Amino acid sequence: MRRVAIALALLAIAGGCREKKANPNNPNEANKVEVRAVRVYFESPNMLLIAEPRNLPLPENPAAAIPAVLRELTKGPSNANLARLLPADTVVRAAYMLPDGTAFVDLGGPTLTAGWGTGTHEELMAVYSLVQTVTANFAEAKRVRVLVNGEPAETLGGHIWLGKSLQPMPLLVEPGSR
Amino acid sequence: MKRFILLTSLALLAAASIVLGQATVQSTTPATLRTQSGDRQIAIAHQNGQTYFSAEDVVAGLGGSVAADAHGYRVTINNNVAAFGPDSRFGVVRDDLIEMPAAPVVIDNHPFVTIQFFQGFLAKTADLDVVWDERAKLMQIRPLQHTVVGVQVSVANVQGISKIVFTLSQSSGYAIVKEQGGYTIRFAAQIRPPFNEQAYEDPNVAKITFSGTDARIQLTSPDVAGDAYKLDNPYRVVLDVRKVAPSPNAPVLPQSNKPVEQPGIHTIVIDPGHGGKDIGASGPGGLLEKDATLAIANKLAASLATKLGARVILTREDDSVVSLDQRTGVANQYKADLFLSVHMNAAPVKGAHGSEVYFLSLEASDELAKKAAESENASSSGHTPSTQGDLKLILWDLAQQEYLAESSRFAQSIQEEMNALAGIQNRGVKQAPFKVLVGATMPAALVEVAFISNPDEEAKIKNEQFQNTVVDALTRAVQRYKTDYETRIGIAQPAPPAPAAPPATTTTTTTARTGT
Repeated sequence: MRRVAIALALLAIAGGCREKKANPNNPNEANKVEVRAVRVYFESPNMLLIAEPRNLPLPENPAAAIPAVLRELTKGPSNANLARLLPADTVVRAAYMLPDGTAFVDLGGPTLTAGWGTGTHEELMAVYSLVQTVTANFAEAKRVRVLVNGEPAETLGGHIWLGKSLQPMPLLVEPGSR
Repeated sequence: MKRFILLTSLALLAAASIVLGQATVQSTTPATLRTQSGDRQIAIAHQNGQTYFSAEDVVAGLGGSVAADAHGYRVTINNNVAAFGPDSRFGVVRDDLIEMPAAPVVIDNHPFVTIQFFQGFLAKTADLDVVWDERAKLMQIRPLQHTVVGVQVSVANVQGISKIVFTLSQSSGYAIVKEQGGYTIRFAAQIRPPFNEQAYEDPNVAKITFSGTDARIQLTSPDVAGDAYKLDNPYRVVLDVRKVAPSPNAPVLPQSNKPVEQPGIHTIVIDPGHGGKDIGASGPGGLLEKDATLAIANKLAASLATKLGARVILTREDDSVVSLDQRTGVANQYKADLFLSVHMNAAPVKGAHGSEVYFLSLEASDELAKKAAESENASSSGHTPSTQGDLKLILWDLAQQEYLAESSRFAQSIQEEMNALAGIQNRGVKQAPFKVLVGATMPAALVEVAFISNPDEEAKIKNEQFQNTVVDALTRAVQRYKTDYETRIGIAQPAPPAPAAPPATTTTTTTARTGT
């Protein structure tokens, strides 16, 4: 019985140690969650980006909320008239912000890892659906830098250069969704 | 049961020790930072085989500051700003990544980073190098060591041709820029010039001036054409200049800083998109983009050689993998006058159809644009830019930007011809940041012939007659652009003859087709 007590005491110590001290500088620190209206972008029948509204429980910290919004984007549209842009198996591995307004989006998944065989239009719109979704929902984000599997990537599918941060391109967005 | 409890306890003890180990707050140790202004103490920490340096201590030693906000840390040194976050091994400076082997750590609310952060930041913004000596616990920050290349100049006139020879103590990249009344040779390496300015009693060359990494050759008259090449052993850059007959119209010297070998459109690089394991998009009927682009590019190369008498080079002639950089590399290496990348489009929207023509858009960040302007000013005012590595980077990043106006005209010409094709809807000239166009040092465009993702268009793309129609349209587009360009720069352009296509000559990586 005594040994059980010791074991439980050790468990309590381990559990106590696991609790990290809250760090105000860590954007991924879980904080207050509230339901927010966000807009995620898909392709319209006019072949432009169009916003689909969603209500999501999001952490208050915008940097912590970006991955949650992007994961909603990868689920695809609920409106059948809109088209999914990123491959269905895309995984948002991480997303975070730096103080200069650069949002990093780290993608993965079998298709993007193997090399996405697609055309210019689809790739262009997929990349800018990320850019538009991040910058439209988070005022602090001025530009988006896309990584694949944690590393800088040349392109997602052989066309659109990811070697620089990308700013929103309003010409690709339906006028009502800009 | 007792044994079970004992084992469980031991397992828990082991788990606890692991967790405790992970959660242990790293202790810091002192080290020395040596800069040009002296030594000072900094804190370092070791974790997971990495050495971390207190960002605040090192930055303070350089006269800068570190500010924290909800997203991470902003570092400012001499008005240059970089940023990093506690969860990312990528920092950012001037829109470029600083790659670190491990993410920064926060110890007692103070951020610690690996040396790569300072190396990346200071090399890009201050031309400084950062070196760490683990044994002496000494971090040194000192000026980057540049190799300075010696340059000698000679000018000789042989049978009316002025031969300007720059002999370098070792090889260096260079770009030749034609400007109003002369040429500038911009060397990639830092150079030790033989003089600042020298006048010549030569029929074509008035004087040569050195400024930073630039050698400017001022000509005696605007009616002079140049031809540049390089020689090895010793490494020489040679510019032959000769008088040409003034054109009937006032000579319009291109203002686009186009490197000039022979003015006009003579060499065209056609790039069949994708290849090898990079299949590109696929049609619902199984047609692969890489096959369609090669078929059309081959026909286009033959057509341009035959109808325009152009030297045409393909970036690939079979089902091989060619990287995006290699494709523009081929165009730059052959000093092509035009670059056209051929692709088939794909869209998730069913029924997407028509052709699209693109040229490059590069969103130069405010920071990048500012730096480019500073470099321009520094070059023109005779000061050597303080950030040589950065200047090179900016010039490469913006290589295509110098040609955007011409690329736009070229794309427009293609669009109009594709638009005129029956059954192809015009979707207009567009701009996008295409990797394959970024480094091209000539007018460059990308054509999406049709949507391979649409079964109707896929069937068309397979059809040889449709392919021929597309090739005819693209040939007319290139011809129109060529005539337009050569008229604007004042070259008399006789109507091209239509000789028979000669047999193709093959190089190791490309096929060159030249009309007679």
